[in-house]
Amino acid sequence: MAIERTPLLSVQDLVVEFSTEHGVVRAIDRVSFDVYPNETIGIVGESGCGKTVTGLAVLGLIPSPPGRIVSGRILFQGRDLAKLSESELREIRGRDISMIFQEPMTALNPVFTIGNQMIDVLMVHRGLTRRQARGASIEMLDKVGIPVPGMRIDEYPHQLSGGMRQRVMIAMALSCDPKLLIADEPTTALDVTTQAQVLEQINKLQEEFHMAVILITHDLGVVAETCRRAIVMYCGRVVENAAIENLFRRPLHPYTAGLLDSIPQIRANRLAELPIIPGRVPDLLNLPDGCRFAERCCKVSERCRRESPVLEAFGDAGDCVACHTPGMPIRETVDV
Amino acid sequence: MSDTGKTPPLLEVRGLKKYFPVRGGVFNRVMAQVRAVDGVDFIIEQGKTLGLVGESGCGKSTLGRAILRLHEPTGGQVLVDGKDFTALSRKALVAERRRMQIIFQDPFASLSPRRTVAQIIREPLDVHRIGTVEERRQRVIELLDVVGMGPEVRDRYPHEFSGGQRQRVGIARALALNPSFIVADEPVSALDVSVQSQVLNVISALKREHGIAFLFISHDLAVIQHISDEIGVMYLGRIVERASVEALYRDPKHPYTKALMSAIPVPDPTRKSQRIVLGGDVPSPMNPPPGCPFHTRCPEVMAKCRSVVPETVDVGDDGASHVVACHLY
Amino acid sequence: MSATAAAVTSAPVLVRRKSLWSKAAYKFRRDRAGMISLGFVLGYVLIALGVTLGWWATGWGDVAGGRWEAASAEHWFGTNLIGQDIFDRAIYSTKTAFEVGFVVAVLATTIGALLGAISGFFGGSWIDEIVLWLMGVLDSIPFYLFVAAIVFAMQESPYAMHVAMIATFWTGVGRLIRGEVIKLRGLEYVEAAHAIGVPEFTIIFRHILPNTTHILLVQATITFVAAIKSEVILSFLGLGVKDGMSWGLMIAESSQEVMAGFFNNFLAASVLMFGLVMAFNMFSDAMQDALDPRKVS
Repeated sequence: MAIERTPLLSVQDLVVEFSTEHGVVRAIDRVSFDVYPNETIGIVGESGCGKTVTGLAVLGLIPSPPGRIVSGRILFQGRDLAKLSESELREIRGRDISMIFQEPMTALNPVFTIGNQMIDVLMVHRGLTRRQARGASIEMLDKVGIPVPGMRIDEYPHQLSGGMRQRVMIAMALSCDPKLLIADEPTTALDVTTQAQVLEQINKLQEEFHMAVILITHDLGVVAETCRRAIVMYCGRVVENAAIENLFRRPLHPYTAGLLDSIPQIRANRLAELPIIPGRVPDLLNLPDGCRFAERCCKVSERCRRESPVLEAFGDAGDCVACHTPGMPIRETVDV
Repeated sequence: MSDTGKTPPLLEVRGLKKYFPVRGGVFNRVMAQVRAVDGVDFIIEQGKTLGLVGESGCGKSTLGRAILRLHEPTGGQVLVDGKDFTALSRKALVAERRRMQIIFQDPFASLSPRRTVAQIIREPLDVHRIGTVEERRQRVIELLDVVGMGPEVRDRYPHEFSGGQRQRVGIARALALNPSFIVADEPVSALDVSVQSQVLNVISALKREHGIAFLFISHDLAVIQHISDEIGVMYLGRIVERASVEALYRDPKHPYTKALMSAIPVPDPTRKSQRIVLGGDVPSPMNPPPGCPFHTRCPEVMAKCRSVVPETVDVGDDGASHVVACHLY
Repeated sequence: MSATAAAVTSAPVLVRRKSLWSKAAYKFRRDRAGMISLGFVLGYVLIALGVTLGWWATGWGDVAGGRWEAASAEHWFGTNLIGQDIFDRAIYSTKTAFEVGFVVAVLATTIGALLGAISGFFGGSWIDEIVLWLMGVLDSIPFYLFVAAIVFAMQESPYAMHVAMIATFWTGVGRLIRGEVIKLRGLEYVEAAHAIGVPEFTIIFRHILPNTTHILLVQATITFVAAIKSEVILSFLGLGVKDGMSWGLMIAESSQEVMAGFFNNFLAASVLMFGLVMAFNMFSDAMQDALDPRKVS
């Protein structure tokens, strides 16, 4: 990698805690990663790993109380988002950084038409008149592939299908031409065929609008198709951050390898039994000392149980991993 | 469909229909029918697994429940070992229920929150008065062992367990009556990826070691391929293609099947798929399009498709059945 | 152990997630206002208990002093028109209040739970229609007229008031439970029970009703308070308590006395009643908050 580029977003040692009735829970623990302009990166992990909290933290959307950003920096275009006030953050949201969520029905207000909601956003952020905002909205709806946008703009969310609603959300998110789009499980609630449509849309728009995209998902297949780089999270920490080709071909962290092995895939020779990662994710209230994955790891050592590994660079492709003995066997592509 | 000379198959479904009335208006009249299941036929032999795949709204969950008469079928028949299950009275039904059980998708809603694990698993035995109290206690421990849980969990309540563990309790409950057939309605869809494989392995073991037949319902083609012997693809209440698992993945015939397969994101960045992206949305089951229900989105639609409902034909070779409902064949 | 079992289990680590009740108890204990109100309520309970067991206020009917005596060491609240000790009467009335409140709360909640559950489980059928119709009819009759009618019909029986209250208060509980049961009956564990072959009424009582107890508890406390308040008004109107003493009767008595400038009777009854109603209301609120799964303390 010859050219030194400045990242668009740089998250450094971010820590977010939540007060619960059982005590304080550290939802994410010293999470660090960079996002460069025009690049799609994926944050992958299972439920409870902290990927959604990370996405919300960037935009200051952590419900507080009970949550709060304890320490760390979120550098975006030279400013530390973690230190901004609510009104400063509101200017950035929707305009420079946008976010779309998993459930479009709850994210859209059911008593207003989609046109109303989109026009509001445009009038607030871009200072357009109602007429101009309506025109821009219709154009945007067309761009996200909604047929007959001039009519649909006056419809209510419940009149649209799940896939359409998600596209409306994307249209709203992109209407102010943001530099960064955070998509939190945007297709998890959708059917496979609709998912394909929406992902294709996101890819197209990413090119057209020259945005960076952070795609938060649990689906490694989605990551393989859309992202250039992926960050794997486990139990509140980043365990691996690698370019896509490297991640799938030669994962560095045992968790990544275990995950890739255990996913059912279509293969020519069916397996009698799927490989599994034994055990379960530890309780965030009852974390072990040392590496959080130690109990389930195939190459655990004494050192792993005592000492928590730190995220360190590996190789020269800008990858990093948090493991005392990084590097897993090269994986063969599965024959279909 | 079945040879009169041979033993009847374990489960045979003929022309099964389930419509839900939509009421409205001043007098609560029936205004429309949601045709959730609109004429489905298939056979499942002893110990075999039929995978049922389709997207939301295709009717697969309703089909699973209609077979067990949790929803009473509106039309058609379900034959168990050759006997008409759909015609049984409510009383006779209870006894027959022992042979067919169900596992649900939602691990959090499928276990009664105020009952202990032991009570939940023992309930089928209590209802059908099987064994003495002591024998039932033993059986609960046995069943927990089959699904990989120790006897110490007996007095715990569901909220103390994780999703994967609750699914396993649900499976133990379904096994209590020694069923020959289990409807598995998306049993792993709500679980984390690393837990899915654990539960799938439990189900595979049940197939191998206990010879239980399954109707495995899922939207995930990879999971279905792993676990099924035969696969049926559903769209808007009908099975549009059905074949053995090898034949379906090697040579899918129906355009919808092809689109479905191409849409799955593959966790392999080197394989850039030629994705068939379907236009439009799934039509409402209240108002299915005339002719072939898929014609509104089909990339290979012909004039005939808009008006004539395609017949189901068998295009299989080598004696293996491969049925398709499409005008292309 | 089967091979799969061995591969799948590691140490049987259970997640110690607390149940609704233990979480609720924990949250309740930390609710200052709730704990204080509970203390007050228990205080009242103790008083009522003492009266029932004959520990105190046995002489509530005796003429113990002169007319309208002021508060003194002998008569803590003074005496009323006839010379009866107001304090004793007020204390005795606590027992009446609890008796009425308790009987009405328990029976109304039980009837409401049963009919609501049956109605909700068979929603849309003729059973549901009948119960809904019944609820509608009872709700549309003005309460005090209804009580008057029942008192008349029951030939001045002392239980007329109880019957009337139970007959009207159950509908509120019934509707709530019906709604909750309609929601619960669609859940998979109920489908599972059907699939196993559990008879329908067993499903209602074993699987569905136990999951509504948090609603029933709160409703019972609300009904308790409503019963006490209604009793006061009914007794004042002469439709309530017939034998014995209650705050309502004391207030009714005192209406003349107040005009003559003697407030003790009125104040004693009102303050005591107000105290119990307030405390119970706060207790009920605190319990509702504690049982609410969404409220993080």
